[in-house]
Order: sequence, then C-alpha cells, then structure tokens
Amino acid sequence: MKGLWSARPTRVVLVALVFLPALAHAYAGPGAGFAVLSSFWAIFVAFLYSFYALMTWPFRQLVRFLRRRNAYGRAKFERVVILGFDGMDPDLAERFMKEGRLPNLAKLRDRGTFSKLRTTFPAISPVAWSTFLTGVNPGKHNIYDFLARDTNNYLPFLSSAEIKGPKRHIKIGKYSIPFGKTQIKGMRKGTPFWHWLGEAGIFSSVIRVPVTFPPEKFQGVLLSGMCVPDLKGSQGTFCLCTTRVSDDKFREGGVRVPMDRKNGVYRSYIPGPDNPLIEKGGELRADFEVRPDLRAKSARFVFGPEKFALEVGEYSEWVPAEFKAGMGFTAHGICRFYLKGLSPEVEVYVTPVNIDPGHPDLPISHPVTYSIYLAKLLGPYATLGLAEDTWALNEHVLDDDAFLAQAYGNHEDREKMLFDALDKTKQGLCTCVFDTTDRVQHMFWRYLEEDHPAARDVPHSEHPQVIQDLYERMDRLVGRVMERIDDDTLLMVISDHGFKSFARCMNLNAWLHQNGYLALKDGKSESGDWFDDVDWSRTRAYTMGLNGLYLNLKGREKQGIVDPAEADALKDELRERLSGLVDPASGAVGVTGVFVTDEFYRGPYTENAPDLLVGYGAGYRASWDSVMGKVTRQIFEDNTKAWSGDHCIDPRLVPGVLFSSHKFIEDKPAIVDVAPTILKLFGLALPAHFDGKPWALASPAGDR
Amino acid sequence: MACFAAFSFSMVISILTGPLAIVIVVSVVVGLAMVVLFGYTSDQKAIGIAKDQLKAHLLAVRLYRDQIPVVMGSYGKILRGTVRYLKLAFKPLLYVIVPITLLMVQMDRYLGQTPIPVNAPFLLTVHFSSSDALNDATLALPSEIVMTAPPVHIAADYQIVWRLAGTRDGSYEMNINAGGQSVEKVVCVGGGLPRISTVRLRGQFWNRVFSSAEPSLPENVSIESISINYPDRNIEIAGYGMNWIWLFFILSMVAGFIFKELLGIQI
Repeated sequence: MKGLWSARPTRVVLVALVFLPALAHAYAGPGAGFAVLSSFWAIFVAFLYSFYALMTWPFRQLVRFLRRRNAYGRAKFERVVILGFDGMDPDLAERFMKEGRLPNLAKLRDRGTFSKLRTTFPAISPVAWSTFLTGVNPGKHNIYDFLARDTNNYLPFLSSAEIKGPKRHIKIGKYSIPFGKTQIKGMRKGTPFWHWLGEAGIFSSVIRVPVTFPPEKFQGVLLSGMCVPDLKGSQGTFCLCTTRVSDDKFREGGVRVPMDRKNGVYRSYIPGPDNPLIEKGGELRADFEVRPDLRAKSARFVFGPEKFALEVGEYSEWVPAEFKAGMGFTAHGICRFYLKGLSPEVEVYVTPVNIDPGHPDLPISHPVTYSIYLAKLLGPYATLGLAEDTWALNEHVLDDDAFLAQAYGNHEDREKMLFDALDKTKQGLCTCVFDTTDRVQHMFWRYLEEDHPAARDVPHSEHPQVIQDLYERMDRLVGRVMERIDDDTLLMVISDHGFKSFARCMNLNAWLHQNGYLALKDGKSESGDWFDDVDWSRTRAYTMGLNGLYLNLKGREKQGIVDPAEADALKDELRERLSGLVDPASGAVGVTGVFVTDEFYRGPYTENAPDLLVGYGAGYRASWDSVMGKVTRQIFEDNTKAWSGDHCIDPRLVPGVLFSSHKFIEDKPAIVDVAPTILKLFGLALPAHFDGKPWALASPAGDR
Repeated sequence: MACFAAFSFSMVISILTGPLAIVIVVSVVVGLAMVVLFGYTSDQKAIGIAKDQLKAHLLAVRLYRDQIPVVMGSYGKILRGTVRYLKLAFKPLLYVIVPITLLMVQMDRYLGQTPIPVNAPFLLTVHFSSSDALNDATLALPSEIVMTAPPVHIAADYQIVWRLAGTRDGSYEMNINAGGQSVEKVVCVGGGLPRISTVRLRGQFWNRVFSSAEPSLPENVSIESISINYPDRNIEIAGYGMNWIWLFFILSMVAGFIFKELLGIQI
C-alpha cells in the first residue's frame, strides 16, 4: 500500500506529461535531450556502420575469398586456439595430473598430445616467445635477453624496444615544446606468423603475447604484452608512500615517497614521467590525500577527481592518474592503491602507473582502438608488460596475499579478454599468453621445497599450496575453453619454458674476477652496478643480464682488448673451466653447460648476441648483482628473496609444455616449430627463413 | 565610424535587453542546473558503464567488420545497450522534466507570443457550453480597443468570434456578458515582453497549468473558454527567425555539454 502511494506522484506526473498538451512534449530539458541524442547517436552510428559494412561486404568477401581461397580451402581446422601459460613446467604438470589435480589437461593428454617443448637458448621469456611468434632462432629475431649492452659504454638497454621523445622541439624560454609523435622503435626483428595468416586473409586475435610492443600492423587485433613500459618508460616502478622516515632505497623497481601530515590529513604524490616541456624539468607528480580512520582501520583517499575508501589490506580499483605538464600536455595513466597500514605508520603502496588502455599515450594495441575497445568493454586493465609487481614482493612492500590478489586480478582481466576473443574469432587464430604462471612460480617456488633459503622461517607443514592452486586454476581455464570449442578447433596449450628452484645465486662476474678474466681498478675488491670500477684495459670477459657472457673484444667493445683471432680460444677456455663448476658449499654442480653461440645462432643479428651462454644447474641462477654487472667478493650465496624459482638456467633442464586437443607426431617438439606448424595447419606455404619444422597430425580426423 | 560604433552599441544593448538575452541566460542556467540535477539523481557509475559498453560494441563493429556474425551480434548488443542506457536515464529524467516543464510553461508566457501590434486586427473567440448561450452574449470593450467588424456567430461550434484592434500600448480588460454573468479577458497591445495569456479556461486544471496565465472562469458561467490569436514570437538570429523553444533547446544542450565536461558528470 505504501509503495502504491509513494508511486502515485510519479504516476501523476508521468500521466500529466504524456497526456497533457503541447509544451511538455516539445522539449524536456538537456537531460532528456542528451539521453535521446546519445541513444540516437549510438543507433545512428551503428546504422551507418552497418550500412557501410553491408554495402561493402560482398566486395570485401570477394577480395577475401580470392586472397584466402588457398588458405581455409586447405586448412585442417577452422580455428586454432593457443593458450600460452608462461613458464608452465612439464614435470609439475605431470605430477599434478597424476595427483588428479588437472583433469582438463589430462583430457588433452589422453585425447591429443602432452609433451615437453624444447625451449630456446637461453630459456628466457622474451627470447622464447620471440622465437614462438617468428619461427626463427634468436640470431634472426635479435632478442637474447631482457637487456642488451651498449658496446660503447658497457651499459644496458632494453632489448625489445627503444622509446624516444619527438625529434623536433621549439624552444621558448625555459620551455622546449615537442612536435610530432614519440618515436618507438621495435628491436625485435622477424615477422610474426600471424602476419602470414593475415596475408592469406586469415584473421587473428593476439592477446598479451610477449615482445609484441610496439604493435605491428596485420589483419587482426593484438594487445601487446611483456615489454610494454609503464608511464615512466620503465618496466615497472612501484611507489611506496610512507610516513616512515628512511634513507633506504629499493634495489630495483620501486621508489619510496615521503608522506606529510597536516591537520590529520596525509599528503603524498605519485611520481610520473619526466616533464616533456622542460629540459631537466624533473618528474611530473600526481598528488593525493589520505584521511585515516584508525578505529575503522580504513582511510578515505582523494586523488584528483577520484574519491574512494580503502580498508587496511585492500586494493582500490584502477583509477585514472593524470600528470599535467602545462600547455595542454597531459600524460594519462592508471594505477591501483593498496592501503598497507595506518599504525604506527601510514603506508600506501601504489602500483606502477600503467598506460591507460582507454586513452593510450603510446600505442599498445593494433589497431589502436583495440585497447580502447577492451577498456570500454571490460573496464580499465593492466597494460604494463610485467604487470605483476614481483619487485614489491621481493622488497617486502607487498606480502604474499597482496601480491597474489594483484596477480590474480590481472589474470581475471586476461581471462575475460580471452573469452571475448574466442567469441569474436570463430575462424582463424586466437592466442593469449598468461603471465600469471610465470610470476607466481617465480615468487612462490620457495613453498614447494622443504628447505628453500627464502622460506626457512616458515615450517614446511605450513607452506601454502600456491603453485598447486595456480596449476588447478589454469586447468579450470582450459576446461572452460574446451567447453567453447568444437572439433573444428585445434586447442594448444604451450609454455615457453619450465621452472626450477632458485636457491643459490652465482655471481659470474665474481668468478671472472677471481679467475683473472675481469679486473677491477687498483685497490678495489668489488665493483658498483654496471661495472663501476671495472678496469676495462685488463678485462677479457664480463657478464650482464641473465645468461650472456661477453668477451671484451677489440674492435667491437669500445675498450676491447681481446684480439678477434684469440676469441675462439678464449671461448673454449671459458667453456672448459666453467662447465661443471661445483658450488663448494653444497657440492652440487652450479653450471651444467656453457654454450658458444656461434655454434647454434644463425642469422643477420648474431653480432648482437652474447659470445657464450651460461647454463646454470637446477637450483642455481645468476645472482642479482651479477645480472646488474656488479662484481662481489663471493661467487656463490643463498637466494633469500621471494623470487625463489627460475628458468634462466641450462635450457635443457627447463623445457616447456605442449598440450593439444589433436595428436601430433613429433618426438622432440620445440617452440620454434609452433609458427611453421600453425601455417601448415592453415594450408599455407612456409617462408624459407623459418628454422622450425611443422609437426604432423597423427590422425586424419582433423582433415576436413 | 561613429555611426558604426553607435549601431554596434545599439545592437549590443538590444541583444542584452531583448528576448534573445533572456533565452541565452536562461538556457545556460538551465543547462547547468539540469546537469547538476542529473548528476545527483542518477546512478553515475552504471550510466558510465552502460555508455562504455555501447562504445565498445560500436568499436567491435569496426574491429570485426569482416565478420558478419560478430557485426550483427554487436548491433543487437547496441540496441540492448541503448535500452539499458535509457532505463538508467529515466529516473533522473523524471526529476529533470518536472521543474523544467514548469519553467518552460512560465517562459512561454513571455516568449511564446508577441502582444497584438497597435491597430492590427486580432480575433477574440469565445466558446460557450451550448448554442443557447450565444444569443444573449455581448462584449464590453475599453476605449483603447475597438471592434473592426460585427461578431460572427458559429452556432455549430458554440462560438462567437469578434474582430478587434488595439489603438494604444497596454494591457486591457474586455468584458464578455452572457447569461447574466460577466467575465474578463486581458489583451496585451503594443510591444515589450508582457506576460501573455492566450486563453482563459473554465476548469481543465492541467490545460490551464500548461496553456493559461489567467484564473479559471467561474464554474457557473456558460463560457468554456476565451482565446485571443496572438502572433507567435520569432527570435531573430543572423537574419533567421526561430521559436524560442528551439533556441533554448540548442543553447541549453550546448551549455549542458560544456558543464558536464567541466563537472565530470556522466549523461
């Protein structure tokens, strides 16, 4: 009754407006006008598109038919779906399948294929995925590690892409106004196999495959993955805003920002990109306020126009972060806040500021509108290549639960992207790479072992089953994908490499130093990062990055001393001495193989390759310092960081996985074979430069 | 030069004091008020999501244009999304419609019609409840209003029509006598922006709210309505005349679009 009465005034007004005369019908204000216009506009634009699409459809179909008559006509499948589970390990997968944890992957194994998938040398994600997508060895795609070195100064640079400001600037006083676009140069060479598919008129949806930044044109849609930078241009710089006074700096990947208190309100800022208008103008900042409520263990945040409340231990949604440089220049990003604590100190963690997918300042998709489409459809999502903040967990800024919440939040977004792509790609290729498998194994391997140095403070019986849960989660994803495909679709689940423990670190630079290959300046027993205090005039070999070992070669390195004529002998000597190197503390072999790259890299970019690749034994990896070109006193030491599992070891020890819904006949499949296999499945001729060999289907059942 | 300046000055003054200025000011204020009201009374988050989804489906049509099933599916989603968006906009629209309708009714009293020009003929139409009442009906006019033709009796429609003219600026009361009762009707003659009532009605509450600016006719008279055919007012812009409603529609929309951006309100 009450409801009826309360509804009456509304009804009266409605009846009045509908049945009473003229003026009310004429115009009902901007609100109504907007609503009608917006709706009309949507329908109108849709109509225009549909009209255009329908009118041009016969011609486009004709063109497509002519282009693809040799493709789908000879294709074995209507569609190929490739799920990339970065770092899924075949031994763990087998173990969990035996335990009955992975019923869907077991189904694939029983009906189709389950095999180890040989990885690249080195077994590093950007290298392996580049080989996956180009079908060639690293000598042809030019990616050998995350980092490459500048032979002029021995400093590192990102191997996958180079980003520079616009070429032209106009100087007005202190301002330097940029004109033109940001220059982005892709360093990965080679052609992705979906380019060949597109040439034949076969559509592809490619989501988060590593080393696809900057995105290249082809017939399909692509969202770039690993190697997309954050808004600062780094590979991910988190921010810890805190009232705790500390001069400590994070080793890598994060900055500490002070938080000031005034009248019960805490103020801090998020560091952004450098000011593009002023040379050495410093970084731009986005300020925010925190108003704690200690009783409720929560706080209200004010960040630009955004206002939200968080409880301790809670993440915000993605919020827009704008960095204004003045004169209309604004950098658009998104970030998430995490309220770490309110007492005794107020501490707020902020994720690296990701490029806003709905308003991308750099192209992160092809076409550019694809990232916008996904943002409008699903809401904002992480765009950073390495979006799961492993550094923050390593530095104890995030705890296990906070890291997992972040990682799985990103994972869920990517699942939604995958299922949207599956819905939209009924014919052609649909591929999506999930990083979660890699990041979670990196950070939680310590709980898989009884006596990992990084988990000695937690009794083994209390170790959480994070990796088991991860594999089960991935298995459920496979199950949901299987429900959506029919026999005309080939499903492949692959990983770029496997995983092993990372319990002990080896500083290869220290070994080189102690064995007379690398010299420090007089009086120094250690170097700083990036070879600070290294005496190049007496150095014959050095290492940076994860597996590469370089000779200080005359004519190549600026201060090179090794005569090219003596290079082979030096390589042999290093291989001889390093292979089988034993860790004196454990008696285990720290280095199981050293590989001379000349012997297996072929292609136009081999000159950029390391001279040797060091294959660490299971349980070992290059130390954190060695990766950063630092010489320490100790060669071997425990790895006590949360980053406790790894794969940057002897590639023979960490093959990836290959599951498929249809059986392939191949004894030793390798990741380099995937591209030729897909082209062959679609009935296309293989480019002559491919290094991989296509696999044969076991049963003609797949033939159409 | 001086003539041009004087002309420009007089133009500015006339614009600032004329109906155009009123429409501009009211449109901007209404645009702002409506946007704010819409913002407070709507589910901003849901509207934002609904609009984003619509945009996504539009983009899907473009991204997957060679895949007809996807394109057709997207059209379906666009239509469903539009319905969802209109649903979300409905509640705030109710809040917006009521005040603005009442405001527009009042504005129309001033801006909808012009007064009768001096010495220009106009028609006074009286509608009776029966044809009997027509026989003894008479009209008493003030000295400033003159009758320019004998009244016309239209028995079939129960109407008498008088053709009249005003000789001086001003508002005047005319008395219509019928069945021993006398009722008034005001007529505005000349220029300016007087409050004009085109019709006086008996009963018909909602009709009076929307159409009349005068009190109801007494219940016991035999007259249903008294109306005057005022000329419609056109507001001149760049040589084009248009009804104030259209101008108000355009200007308040523009103002609304500007304010929604400034205030960050989803519409």
